[in-house]
Amino acid sequence: MYLDKTIVELHNLLVKKEVTPYELAQEAIENAKNDSNNAFETICEQEALDFAKTLIEPEKDNLFWGIPYVAKDNYSTKGILTTGSSDILKDYVPVFDATVIKKLKEKKAVLIGKTTLDELAMGGSGTTSHKGKTYNPYDKTHTYIIGGSSCGSAASLASGIVPFALGSDTGDSVRKPASYAGLVGFKPTWGRISRYGLFPFAPSLDHVAYFTRSVEDAAIALEILQGHDELDMTSSLKEQCNYFKDLNKDIKGMKIAYIKEIVESVKDKVIIEQFEKTLNILKELGAEVNQVSMDKKLLTAIFGTYYVISCAEATSNNANLDGIKFGLREGNEKTYQEVMFKARTKGFGEFIKRRFIIGSYSLFKENQEELFLRAQKARRKIVNEINKILQNYDLIYLPALGSVRNPFESNVDKLEPNYLIAENHLAIANFAGLPSLTLPIGIDKDFPFGANFLGRAFEEQKVFNVAYALESKLEFKNITAKKVNG
Amino acid sequence: MELEAVIGIEIHVEMKTKTKMFSSSSNVFGADTNTKVSPLDMAFPGTLPVVNKQAVINAIRVCSALHMDIDHELWFDRKNYFYSDLPKGYQITQQRRPIGSNGYVEILCDNSMKKIHIERLHMEEDTCKQIHYADCTLLDYNRAGTPLLEIVSLPEIHNGEEAMKYVDAIRRIVVYSNVSDGKMEEGSLRCDVNISLKEKGQDKLGTKVEIKNLNSLANVEKAINFEIKRQSELIMNNLPVEQETRRFDETHKETVLMRKKTDAVDYKYFTEPNIPPIKLSDEFINDAIKSCPELADVKYERYVKAGLSSQEAYQLLQDKDLSSYYDSCLQYNPKLAKQIWNFLVVDISSYLNKRGETFALFTLKAENIVKLLSIIDKGDISYAQGRKVFEKMCEKELDPNIIVESLNLKQNSNTEEIKAMCLEVIANNNQSVIDYKAGKDRAMSYLVGQVMKTSKGKANPQIVAKLVKEILDSK
Repeated sequence: MYLDKTIVELHNLLVKKEVTPYELAQEAIENAKNDSNNAFETICEQEALDFAKTLIEPEKDNLFWGIPYVAKDNYSTKGILTTGSSDILKDYVPVFDATVIKKLKEKKAVLIGKTTLDELAMGGSGTTSHKGKTYNPYDKTHTYIIGGSSCGSAASLASGIVPFALGSDTGDSVRKPASYAGLVGFKPTWGRISRYGLFPFAPSLDHVAYFTRSVEDAAIALEILQGHDELDMTSSLKEQCNYFKDLNKDIKGMKIAYIKEIVESVKDKVIIEQFEKTLNILKELGAEVNQVSMDKKLLTAIFGTYYVISCAEATSNNANLDGIKFGLREGNEKTYQEVMFKARTKGFGEFIKRRFIIGSYSLFKENQEELFLRAQKARRKIVNEINKILQNYDLIYLPALGSVRNPFESNVDKLEPNYLIAENHLAIANFAGLPSLTLPIGIDKDFPFGANFLGRAFEEQKVFNVAYALESKLEFKNITAKKVNG
Repeated sequence: MELEAVIGIEIHVEMKTKTKMFSSSSNVFGADTNTKVSPLDMAFPGTLPVVNKQAVINAIRVCSALHMDIDHELWFDRKNYFYSDLPKGYQITQQRRPIGSNGYVEILCDNSMKKIHIERLHMEEDTCKQIHYADCTLLDYNRAGTPLLEIVSLPEIHNGEEAMKYVDAIRRIVVYSNVSDGKMEEGSLRCDVNISLKEKGQDKLGTKVEIKNLNSLANVEKAINFEIKRQSELIMNNLPVEQETRRFDETHKETVLMRKKTDAVDYKYFTEPNIPPIKLSDEFINDAIKSCPELADVKYERYVKAGLSSQEAYQLLQDKDLSSYYDSCLQYNPKLAKQIWNFLVVDISSYLNKRGETFALFTLKAENIVKLLSIIDKGDISYAQGRKVFEKMCEKELDPNIIVESLNLKQNSNTEEIKAMCLEVIANNNQSVIDYKAGKDRAMSYLVGQVMKTSKGKANPQIVAKLVKEILDSK
């Protein structure tokens, strides 16, 4: 058993030749086959073993050498089925690799499988994949969600199948499941990592994001994934950084803010108690921690703003899935309209059809001003407020979510103001394109929960450093369901 | 009631860039179907658009030629609709902020220049090509993503002739700036005409009719004139003009109904999120304009200055390849502007016509053509002999001097030698001298002919004529 270790730990073993990439790949594939959480769309057994077999001489300076990983099934992988967990793409085999897949291949990381997601990344519960629900490894009763949309990737890490998983984050799709699954979930500044080959949900909000089980591993991953890509005009030309080498636990003098209205919206006492404890740790580490305030009206508007913008963009981004090039075709359709109508009716699940309709509706000429453009204005206002806080503070620190666990069947009023704020504030980082990291800060009745750091644009290093410092004072580094619950 | 037509024209120009508007697949006309296609052109999930820099440079050049305001920031929008020829389910275009706005072009109508104002010019991408069969439709993605310029005029055109001249003016600009082939028959320049009638002096416009698929300048004129007549007759007979799209039927020389226009489609435009706003520096814009190939109106001025008549200059500009060959010749000897024009437009053109060829593939070196014309100009060979030398050059390209030499064509222009021959001929033809003195002009021609004969055709005929006359007059 090796794969419940971190990337750094595995690297040391690989370099010492105590284990080989082939053995790690074998173990990961075995783990994936025994997965009981419905985390996988595809296991790339042959491809992984063939590739791992070629990795003989360890590369001392390449921390991803021979490391097995999984990718959310909305990353284009050449020659490997990529479904987006949607029936409309159930037979789609891409002809090209996403830029991040290519980079990982160049670093000789070994792709073990493609993981489930809420259909085409639209959803936060991990329940709308065409393969059904994905479960939380911390919950043997299969009662509570792992969160989504990057549910399969989160489950793979929490159950110790691999130490690294690509996810994607449009609202909180990595950082939310990271909280439910006891993981480090990270998304960088918009533009820091190329999105080429990531299936678009809402490009202005979409980020390549990922899970690790330690802050160190998260820093290593950004080092290799960062950088401008000629295939993505929105990828940044900013200089690349040595995030891992420059990791530093010394956070003396760092200014950290927490937003009063968001903390108050969290009604779970365990979370608040532990959150306050971590505030004290940060202070003890020498950080200056202050409470700031933000207009509650703006905070309750996050969800609506997110929903309108993301659905509007989504309806356009998925218009290519029309049955002409992709999707089901029965063959006796008389008109192109019939081809499209049938393919889309059959190929998409109910939940995303609803989103397409809402998105389309908000873009209609007669509604655009009132819905789409109004949402853009709200987004701008929220971003301005956050940037104002970040003029005076290096980071914003908050509980990631309002609850430790969340059942599949729930009667919660999702439009209740506290719920609206506590469960949706992570989307601020997507509105503003800012780096954001969730890490576990506590465990309640066998369920982990996380808190989140939000940093200034392109100041990922500070986010890593403060999370690294806090992680070292807590006992939740590299936890898995098995380690916690036995 | 006197009616007046109000016409606006939308022109789509296919740009001949190396690659497509947003992808790296090559942009060529006439390749095998579905061979110039990249994942983006077929809208594979995860592909992202990358703006073609040359397309932007081209757009700037055309904007400049049309005296437009050029936006210093590029923005793109999505135009959303479902159609089988639209791979992504949306087209990337520039709805809200076109790169060019507020321009004009001048056309010559009734001996005076008329300005036609242009509302906007924007960049967008073409759809894929549909090939319809009885039982199926096939799609060719080669065309998907071809860079387009759309140029929209204000409704300031009033008849077929103006419309034709407007389209021709735009065509010349895009052709001479090297932005497009501008071939209407191949679809690299397409125009849609919006036409409605109104009572002269009134503001209220009648119903607007759109005409599509106009594949030649002549058809633009014919279609509009037909449509004006058709709508006038409807109005005069108190019949309604329907809002519809029509096409021009070449065989019957009339516009025919394609489809009735129902409510306009809602394209649900929004800003393209995958292309950040791109700042265009003054330097970039100025460089694009400065490095633009010479435009037709500049060439025209230059030709007139070089000594061509307005008509001659205009004739050159009708064929870009001819005009560019002319320019190559001109640089070797600008003094021969007229002679070159004559030889290219008359002799070489007729040579090419006979073979069904054009200047596009004419390979003789301009330098050699100019050499040949210099030899003729010096009087070393006659024009008729020059044509022969040209034909030899077409068989095998050699320096014309060598051909003249090898054919032994060089004229004798040595005055002393010719004078000796003239004296001899005149001495032997007393009767002709008497006839000449008696006023018979034919005698003079006869004597010149005899001298030419003596010289075996090589004496310069102009010098012979001059000397014979001098000698006769001095007798």
